[in-house]
Amino acid sequence: MPILFYISSLVAILATIMVITRYHPIHALLYLIVSFMAIAVTFLSMGAPFAAALEVIIYAGAIMVLFIFVVMMLNLGKQTAQQEKEWLQPRVWLWPSVLTLVLLAEMIVLLLRPSPTDMPAVAVDARQISLSLYGEYIIAVELVGFLLMTGIVGAAHIGKQRKKSLHRFLQTTTT
Amino acid sequence: MNELQLIPLLPFIILAMASVVTILLIAFRLSHTVIQVTGFLMMCLVVFATWYVRDTLPEEVPPLFIVDGQAALFTGVIIFCVLVIGLFSYIYFEEREENPKEYYILLFLATLGAAILTISQHFISLFIGLELLSVSLYALIAYLRNRNNAVEAGMKYLVLAALSSAFLLFGMALIYMEAGSMKFSGIAEKLPQVSSSPLFLMGLGTIVVAIGFKLALVPFHLWAADVYQGSPTPVTAFIATISKIGTFAVLLRFAQTIHLQQYPLIIAIFSVIAISSMIVGNILALRQQNLKRLLAYSSIAHFGYLLVAFLPGNEAGTEAAAFYLIAYSITLLSAFGVITLLSSREHEAETLDIYTGLIWRRPVVATILAISLFSLAGIPLTAGFLAKFFVLSAGVQQAVWLPLAVLILTSVIGLYYYLRVINTLFGTSGTADVMQKTVHPFFHVSTYITLVVLAGMLFWIGVFPGLVLQGIRLFLLLH
Repeated sequence: MPILFYISSLVAILATIMVITRYHPIHALLYLIVSFMAIAVTFLSMGAPFAAALEVIIYAGAIMVLFIFVVMMLNLGKQTAQQEKEWLQPRVWLWPSVLTLVLLAEMIVLLLRPSPTDMPAVAVDARQISLSLYGEYIIAVELVGFLLMTGIVGAAHIGKQRKKSLHRFLQTTTT
Repeated sequence: MNELQLIPLLPFIILAMASVVTILLIAFRLSHTVIQVTGFLMMCLVVFATWYVRDTLPEEVPPLFIVDGQAALFTGVIIFCVLVIGLFSYIYFEEREENPKEYYILLFLATLGAAILTISQHFISLFIGLELLSVSLYALIAYLRNRNNAVEAGMKYLVLAALSSAFLLFGMALIYMEAGSMKFSGIAEKLPQVSSSPLFLMGLGTIVVAIGFKLALVPFHLWAADVYQGSPTPVTAFIATISKIGTFAVLLRFAQTIHLQQYPLIIAIFSVIAISSMIVGNILALRQQNLKRLLAYSSIAHFGYLLVAFLPGNEAGTEAAAFYLIAYSITLLSAFGVITLLSSREHEAETLDIYTGLIWRRPVVATILAISLFSLAGIPLTAGFLAKFFVLSAGVQQAVWLPLAVLILTSVIGLYYYLRVINTLFGTSGTADVMQKTVHPFFHVSTYITLVVLAGMLFWIGVFPGLVLQGIRLFLLLH
């Protein structure tokens, strides 16, 4: 249904605008997740359930990992717990939740509807995608592998620790 | 896809293998020398493979690639450059503080990216090739990661290249939306119906932005000087030659396939970019006291000249562009080779003070630098002169008068700063520098010999261009 497509694209645009105007990284991340989900629903409404699932798993999943990083890096204690309570005021989570609820409603409508009639959409499933990825685009997939290798080698070089810092148990006592 | 179609891709497969082999060598903790020599041999193998598959050309590997004579020609130039740059890298990185081994992996991967660009006929392969090139360059530029300049340059390139990739993707999406195909020939088929739609033109415009960034054309040139200055000298040579040859090759193929030059609007856009690149590049270089920055600005101007050969969109233009790129890369390789040779452990030989009176201290090196600067300025008897001459004659055939006039005027301006550097070379110097004892005599000698050969080639191409021209024509006919 085109109307669902337009609503979810509107949600995506709104959420993305919120991402780039927030000062606090966590708030921006919340909106970023909403934005990704909105794009996933956009894909779903156009008959690409596999791409929608990937969007949620990979992108929204990656943001989750980022969250974990932030939580791990913060030195947790009573003070931070207090701080988190202060952060979690309704005005912070209200709008992302509203936008997500809109998306949820859309998805329920999409799933309950028997078959798409208004928008000519052919469902592209995982089989078709893998056939084209490992069929005609196989060289592209291999090149992307090299691209990942470049990223890993580059990051490993730039991020290498020059000074070896040994654990205090392993340090010799003579120094 | 079957195995027969993979045969024309043999050089690219070997090129990809080179990086994997390097990783294995590092895993077995082999020395820098072994890696260097193996890399050199692998690149020679690529050249032989290109020669071996020559008879099967042109061959299309649908949907992503087309390996034809033009691709083989540009790949050949790219491999030649990486051979020379690899040789320069040995003495450069052996004396630096960083472990030089990962450098070769990144170097070969970046070369693979540039080579992929030359055979792309699809937006997907274009994008992957360009990303492969840029992602390796981020790390290569910041390779000496304890130097502030290098990190700053890497950061600048990272931010701007990522932004330009975003532009490229957006442009591709817009064109795909209008034309319904990401293959160049598919776009060309749809072109008559969509060529006036604003979305298509916008898509084309954003792609021009991304390509202009990679080629450092005005107004997307702001990164050039800082990145050239901050990166290690062999990497600077890489950015100035291989990265730009690859990008230009894909631009050329895109323009040829969709007949870009029949649209007056596109011609107007490229003319403005070419004219402003020539003017701005030359004027910014005028008072420059840093040789690497000077070469950065001069490369902006040179790609402006190259676009003049691109504007007519005819056979002569393609030929002139190929000749120009060959001459330009040999020239720049010899100039950066001299900078590499003169750089000491702590400092790059980039300020002009170092070069004062160089001819009295190290006559051979100074002569090579002088020859390459003469070639850049376009003095007769050097390759640079003939390259400019062919560009001019290609432009005259299609009567693109305004860019031609600007080309001639700005070449005169350019003469000033090249001669200023040469003047410095012949100046009197108070400091007699101590000849440093070289640690790696074999590689020093081979770098010297390479430089002499490069300078000889500049003269040889400048006096007898026939053989090179014949070769270029032979390759360009294979399409």
